[in-house]
Amino acid sequence: MDKRWLNFELHKRKILTLILLLAFMLSLFFVEWHSNLIHSGGFITAKQIAAAFFTPDLSGDILLLALESSWTTLSYAAAGMSLVIIIAFFFGIFASGILVSEGKIKRYIRPLFRGQLGIMRAIHELVWAWLFVASIGLSSFAAIFALAIPYGGILGRIFADMLEDIPREPIKALEAAGASKIQALWYGYLPMVRASITSYAMYRFECAIRSSAIMSFVGIGGLGYQIQLSLDDLHYDEVWTFVFFLIALVLIIDLWSNQLRKRLVQ
Amino acid sequence: MKKYKLSFVTASVYALLLLMIGSWASIIIGEKASLSLLFTEKNLFYASKFFKGLLGINEESPAYLNAENWKNALDLTIETLVMSVMATGFATIAALLTVVPAARNVADGSLTLAKKWHGWLSFGVVRGGYIFSRAVPELVWAMIIIFIFKPGILPGAIALALHNFGILGKLFAEVIEDLDSRPVRNLSSSGAGRFQLFLYGVLPAALPRFLTYILYRWEVIMRTTIVVGFVGAGGLGQQFKLSMSFFHYTDITLLLFFYLLLVFAADYISEKARIFIK
Repeated sequence: MDKRWLNFELHKRKILTLILLLAFMLSLFFVEWHSNLIHSGGFITAKQIAAAFFTPDLSGDILLLALESSWTTLSYAAAGMSLVIIIAFFFGIFASGILVSEGKIKRYIRPLFRGQLGIMRAIHELVWAWLFVASIGLSSFAAIFALAIPYGGILGRIFADMLEDIPREPIKALEAAGASKIQALWYGYLPMVRASITSYAMYRFECAIRSSAIMSFVGIGGLGYQIQLSLDDLHYDEVWTFVFFLIALVLIIDLWSNQLRKRLVQ
Repeated sequence: MKKYKLSFVTASVYALLLLMIGSWASIIIGEKASLSLLFTEKNLFYASKFFKGLLGINEESPAYLNAENWKNALDLTIETLVMSVMATGFATIAALLTVVPAARNVADGSLTLAKKWHGWLSFGVVRGGYIFSRAVPELVWAMIIIFIFKPGILPGAIALALHNFGILGKLFAEVIEDLDSRPVRNLSSSGAGRFQLFLYGVLPAALPRFLTYILYRWEVIMRTTIVVGFVGAGGLGQQFKLSMSFFHYTDITLLLFFYLLLVFAADYISEKARIFIK
């Protein structure tokens, strides 16, 4: 028999590729493919939207409005991130279980906090926002909390994973020298994860800007709100102006975090 | 050099702190948001009413006791699942078709040993496209797409795919940049064409990491399906919005239950699949 058939590693990869392809093919059958899928004026609208891309509305009023809503979007993202860092710090430390010694308590505390973080990040920030708006009404805090919960869940989990993955030797050395748990955390764990957690937090900040832009959907101002208003007025040229501002905002944060990461990793 | 490095990082930290303080200030002063207003008696009343509504207290026929609603939610769940798979498929195909010129080592010719005059030009165009497509959030794409397509799962899948195309493309391009270039150069010097290079040189080496990224994005897409539904792109999200508008809060409980089920299932499957190919 040909030995190549026993090449297991390649085999599994191919099986998974085939399964994924099959799933995709199957999913296509769920759509009834006929010309009814597009609005009667759909093609014309598509052309108008595409044409407006090259002629964004650059009049003074719109630019000023775009700048103002960019600040709103940025400020919500930054305010949300400040809460995210606090949540992630405390939840991350408890979820990694490094503060408690091996034994019964750790067996309960770790899964408890990990599960909590899992639920926080399972629900999308817009759904949180909607739940907040439905329960406490339209408020800036609704948007900030809605952003902070799932992002805190993600960052907290990554922080906990990082804390668990660091080499044990320096910690053991600290403990042998008589350091308490808190001292080991402050002088051993935190300095070792500082660079990677900062660069990941910057990446989440970039995502937070996108999210805070779409928070407008539940009635909070910002770029997404303006995009929606302009779309409802069929002013596609204004839509693209706001979209370009959003892209610029995301790009600036992206460049900043790239520079920061480069210097931290060195 | 050392001093400069330190000062950039420190300056960034101060700038970020300043940005956060400024943001809180502008939100609290500029928009007169106040935390104490949040916890008034009226708000507490509404909040407790909302949560009682979610649990179906004092409700004659809560949605989660009704077989009809369960069947409906199950159908929507399958629809959502299909939408996420379709979106991942579209995004993957588009990213795979464009990824080769987007890799830095292809553009400068170090991977394929063939430097083309349009190398950096196509690199710039494709990378620019990636940046554009991923900088626009899914929901905004969905808002635009819904103007062209009729509501259903197809516009939702396209909107999700448009956003993830840029992300997957960037991640794939980075995988190609990190590849060991020797096998590909070897193929190239024995006269393989572009397509053959991709099929026999790049794909076998990069496939495991491509698959990992596809599965990872699928998890994220699953979480986002509900959001594109809000603007009418089908699935659980559309029903969620309708139920919210009609104040059918017990429906919301049921939909959230199925949503969480989907998200956890996607996490579980993708984790197991990643272990499977390791």
